[in-house]
Amino acid sequence: MRLEKCWFCSSTVYPGHGIQFVRNDAKIFRFCRSKCHKNFKMKRNPRKVKWTKAYRRLHGKDMTQDATFEFERKRNRPERYDRNLTENTLKAIKTIDKVRSRREETHHKNRMKGKAAKERKEARKEHDQQIHMLVAPGAQDKHLSATKVTVKVQHESNDENRMEE
Amino acid sequence: MVQYNFKKITKVPTGKDFVDIVLSRTQRQTPTVVHKGYAINRIRQFYMRKVKFTQTNFHEKLSTIIEDFPRLDDIHPFYGDLLHVLYNKDHYKLALGQINTARNLIGKIAKDYVKLLKYGDSLYRCKALKVAALGRMCTVTKRIGPSLAYLDQIRQHMARLPSIDPNTRTILICGYPNVGKSSFINKITRADVDVQPYAFTTKSLFVGHTDYKYLRYQVIDTPGILDRPFEDRNIIEMCSITALAHLRAAVLFFLDISGSCGYTIAQQSALFHSIKSLFMNKPLIIVCNKTDLQSLAGISEDDKKLVEEMRSEALKTLIGQGGEPREGAEVLLTMSTLTEEGVIAVKNAACERLLDQRVEIKMKSKKINECLNRFHVAVPKPRDQKERPVCIPQAVLEAKAKEAAAKESKKLERDLEEENGGAGVYSASLKKHYLLADDEWKEDNMPEILDGHNVYDFVDPDILQRLEELEKEEGLLQEVGEEDEEMDVEDLTPQQQKELAEIRKKKSLLIREHRIKKSTAESRPIVPRKFDKDKRFTSERMGRQLSSLGLDPSKAIERARSKSRGRKRERSSNGDMDVDDGGSNKKMRARSLSMAESRSRSRPPTNVLVPGEGYKDSAQKIKAYKLGRNSVFKRNKDAKKGEGDRVIPNLKPKHLYSGKRSNGKTTRR
Repeated sequence: MRLEKCWFCSSTVYPGHGIQFVRNDAKIFRFCRSKCHKNFKMKRNPRKVKWTKAYRRLHGKDMTQDATFEFERKRNRPERYDRNLTENTLKAIKTIDKVRSRREETHHKNRMKGKAAKERKEARKEHDQQIHMLVAPGAQDKHLSATKVTVKVQHESNDENRMEE
Repeated sequence: MVQYNFKKITKVPTGKDFVDIVLSRTQRQTPTVVHKGYAINRIRQFYMRKVKFTQTNFHEKLSTIIEDFPRLDDIHPFYGDLLHVLYNKDHYKLALGQINTARNLIGKIAKDYVKLLKYGDSLYRCKALKVAALGRMCTVTKRIGPSLAYLDQIRQHMARLPSIDPNTRTILICGYPNVGKSSFINKITRADVDVQPYAFTTKSLFVGHTDYKYLRYQVIDTPGILDRPFEDRNIIEMCSITALAHLRAAVLFFLDISGSCGYTIAQQSALFHSIKSLFMNKPLIIVCNKTDLQSLAGISEDDKKLVEEMRSEALKTLIGQGGEPREGAEVLLTMSTLTEEGVIAVKNAACERLLDQRVEIKMKSKKINECLNRFHVAVPKPRDQKERPVCIPQAVLEAKAKEAAAKESKKLERDLEEENGGAGVYSASLKKHYLLADDEWKEDNMPEILDGHNVYDFVDPDILQRLEELEKEEGLLQEVGEEDEEMDVEDLTPQQQKELAEIRKKKSLLIREHRIKKSTAESRPIVPRKFDKDKRFTSERMGRQLSSLGLDPSKAIERARSKSRGRKRERSSNGDMDVDDGGSNKKMRARSLSMAESRSRSRPPTNVLVPGEGYKDSAQKIKAYKLGRNSVFKRNKDAKKGEGDRVIPNLKPKHLYSGKRSNGKTTRR
């Protein structure tokens, strides 16, 4: 009994699930559910379909190369059974899983590193530029200039008017 | 050596079929068109050809039948007698004779009518002659119909006869019914003969083949024979008598010493003595069967005497063969087909005896002298009288002894299975012979899957070392990656965040409105702003929006008002023209009344034209209203959601597709 990988989305296919398609050239395609199967029949390229692992790996969303992937390799020649080796292997699988998930977390964090700063910058920019939707620019100026400055006009001007009459 | 295989005889058609076959052949394979205007010779030739053709066809087919069926005198007397027993020689010959006469008769008919046809003077007469000729030939054939049917039956039965070669090494099994002959043949050959508790289960001869010393032996199972005078025997018993009489075979006379066949030993020995004449010149072995029920030593004195008599008779045949009884040559053997003890011994004894007899006969015949020259056994001449015994090294002897001991004590898997409950209960442990570093691990079940991984993919002899390296690496990485992020841009204050949220809300509202407007643009009439029905562009609204933005709206509202209601104010201020006033007052009153009425119902009546809707006049509005209602009315009656609803909830309602009519047909619905 083996757990296989879905050809389209790369998730594990457990026994009793999914469909296996054998092409005329003897290539086997395994699918985890009908969604992947139908996508395959529509001839969609998994590298272009956003939710598949192939896309995510290709576009750098998920970790591609790592030492933890080297541990899991399909071996064609069976090893002679050794109880100690099996025990160690089982323990190793658990630690390797932990290591891998930790590394994936760091990868994700690195990817999202500059996001908070960028968001803050954008928010500030939007706030500064679009504040006119809440407060009209004129009102703001008025707001700013709280006190009125009155300039007194001199009497000399009155005399000049009289003179013209 | 001719193989007696009667399967190649062609099928004999019935009388009617025969006539049909020949006549249709004549019709197809001779020209069919003739007119009375032809030259008389041509007409005569036409009909003569038909008659001759029919006659040759009959002749051909009847000849094949006669030739295919074997002539009882020409074949091996065993088969001749067998066929006589089964199908009465006389009837057989008569049938074939009838066919022969028919053939000759048809020939004669044809000759006569051809002679007559030579002098036919018109088409009609020639045709009548031909019809008569063919008719007579067909009558002859119809008359031999029963013979043809009988021959076909014989043919079918003959095809199913067992193919027995009368000249090869044969072993014959005979005895009373139910003594175990068929069980014996089932045991030593691959034949699958019916074994049942009732007498005469085997009704005809059965052949099986067995091997001994690289030679093939035929074993023939016969039906049981009862002790009766020769004339009273039925066909089934006659089959076995025929086989005994004609085949040069080793005979195994079966004796049931337990008496479970229903006949005592006395009866069986009586039978033996009555047919012992048939055992002349044949190697005879008396086989005592069913020793599991009754052993040979345990039978009564009288029976023992009878058995001894039979044995002495059998010995006579042995001596009669011209050799002293060799050590180990047995004529009386015991066996049990149920427990299978002694079966192989009986077979070997019979084969051995037969082989010896045949070899002797061959030696005596003239042919052997020719063969004798061909082989010569060379024996080395002794140099001196020294004895040179066989020399086997001690080690080899010991090893052989050990092997023999081990073989005896070796326990097979099969024995183990039987001990532990048989095939269905016990399943062999395939892991028993595993070669592992530690034998305790043999029964371990290794897990194949863990946490969504295949364990086999991870198994590696130096997995520990690699895991260590990985952990070291991981440790290093963890130390390195503990950097804090720099804060070069400060976060917004809570007040600013609130403002930002409001900004975003307003923006989304605008976008939504615009989307709605865009999608319904085609169905909305384009109406100038002063007639806008929804009152979206009132001055109060403008005032509210401006004040929410923080500006003082009063001046803007004044300006808007002054521009819009200027004229109306002027009119109402002039009080000079009374008549006009009255009229205008009336108009104003009427308007204000209707407006009051409509306001009380909160909607203008449908036939009154409201400027903001975009209709030309009230007639157009009424028409539009009616059109809208008509289209909606029918759809609502069909319970449709809208003009795009084409759903049929029940494609084949039962009341339309089933039911009988009280009068009339239901060929279409």
